[in-house]
Amino acid sequence: MRNKIEIENVSYIYSQGTPFCTEALKDVSCSFKEGIITGLIGHTGSGKSTLVQLLNGLLKPTSGRVLLDGKDIWENPKKINEIRFRVGLVFQYPEYQLFEESVYADIAYGPKNIGLDKDEIDKRVRQSAQFVGIDEGLFEKSPFDLSGGQMRRVAIAGIFALMPEVLVLDEPAAGLDPMGRDAVFNAVTAYQRTTGATVIIVSHSMEDMAKYADRIMVMSNAKVVLEGEPSEIYKNAKTLCSIGLDVPQITRLMMKLSDMGVPNRTDIFTVEGARDEILRLLGKGGNVND
Amino acid sequence: MIKDITIGQYFPGESVLHHLDPRTKLLLTVLYIVILFMAKSMLAFILIVLLTAALIPISGISFKVIAKSLKPLLFIIIFTMTLNLFFTKGEGEPLLSFWIINIYKEGVSFAIYMIVRIICLITGTGVILTYTTSPIQLTDGIEQLLAPLSKIKLPVHEFAMMMSCALRFIPTLVEETDKIMSAQKARGADFTSGSLIRRAKAIIPILIPLFVSAFRRADELAVAMECRCYHGGEGRTRMNSLHFSARDLLVTLVFVLFGAGVVLLNIFTRGIGIGI
Repeated sequence: MRNKIEIENVSYIYSQGTPFCTEALKDVSCSFKEGIITGLIGHTGSGKSTLVQLLNGLLKPTSGRVLLDGKDIWENPKKINEIRFRVGLVFQYPEYQLFEESVYADIAYGPKNIGLDKDEIDKRVRQSAQFVGIDEGLFEKSPFDLSGGQMRRVAIAGIFALMPEVLVLDEPAAGLDPMGRDAVFNAVTAYQRTTGATVIIVSHSMEDMAKYADRIMVMSNAKVVLEGEPSEIYKNAKTLCSIGLDVPQITRLMMKLSDMGVPNRTDIFTVEGARDEILRLLGKGGNVND
Repeated sequence: MIKDITIGQYFPGESVLHHLDPRTKLLLTVLYIVILFMAKSMLAFILIVLLTAALIPISGISFKVIAKSLKPLLFIIIFTMTLNLFFTKGEGEPLLSFWIINIYKEGVSFAIYMIVRIICLITGTGVILTYTTSPIQLTDGIEQLLAPLSKIKLPVHEFAMMMSCALRFIPTLVEETDKIMSAQKARGADFTSGSLIRRAKAIIPILIPLFVSAFRRADELAVAMECRCYHGGEGRTRMNSLHFSARDLLVTLVFVLFGAGVVLLNIFTRGIGIGI
């Protein structure tokens, strides 16, 4: 798998030269693989929100380089807007950025800024709305009349409409109920499958990441500390706990079982996996569907 | 970025000036401005520049921060300097004269005094008050200084509460603006190029979400205050009540001495003819 985005020795310092100066990233090097969903996990203040803003050039690294398809995104600072169309960033609580009179106009804001023609904009708006499950009957409504979950999905559709090759989402499901969470993550997976985009999701929910991410990157204290497949990551329960994170509940259960002397595997992080493992131990074989 | 605005911003620290009672600092600021505008001779100005220059290292605020806060005023400084330089009429022969412009000795000294005055005004009030006093302390100080006015039914507490709410929300709104700007930039918004009308239009996507969130925050704050039984200022006690200390007296004394020095120098130097 090719690396879509590479970060080379990047440091970022906020308010340099004032008493409020803080180092949000310390000499970070990492890469994001093309065409899969990478989960970026970290404690509050670990630097993950800073990292994602570096990816589309909203922040310029204090030192180091950010490479997209092997090219430095700051090579031509005047063309940074093109990078922002290629790397779509969904902020935390994106519903607070809605401003247009109608849902349709708000989703169309991004494509309009690219300078696309009317038909293309219309096509993209309808497609994006379909991804996030917003009915076309809502198009003429004011975005401020929608429910919280719907507003969130309209805002995400606003980024989908840019058709970015890389989609970055900062805590896309924060503050939503379980149904809202599923709706958001299903929208992201639908977008990823259809377009083959590279997706990066920032989260601190281990359960969500176990369910949706293909790879996981763990950040702590302005650095990347772990990186790999979910099963590899969740084996490091001790490291995760020491940086204030946790393993999924089901992994913890499997670890408890093994502590109690049951000879089970502990690299399991979904309920389905646990079911199969327990059935295997009980001698009933793998995939049983009842 | 918006975050980098320094004028009127509080810098936490442990200096003598940080530990003064905010009421003292408010009064000292007034006294400082009075002294500054009383000065009428070169020596008096030198005295004030010395005082101001001494206050900067005492406050622990870096020169860089102060230089940065003066930058937006550069235009005003140059503007007043030119006006004074060209349009002050003196008594003797002009120093320089071409076309209709005459530059007199008085004009030069007036221009210099004006620059010194503006720079001292910004630096001095910043160091004494805004850089070294947290907004909370500042409103507390104002409220207590104005407290006697509540006897004649002026809503002093309500005024102070409104002010502290407003101050409290400046950083929040700045941060919010930053966030919304970033979010719209991520959707390709461009705030820095194009005609004036295009740029004005580009602000709409920032203003509307900002207003919506400001109203939401105000609503939430009102509910939160009522939940904690806020009922106005009557009978309310404070966690940190203000106390004057020996330090306040000492610093005030230093300022009064400087004031007296300026007044004496005004009288004395005028007598021997090196005033303006």
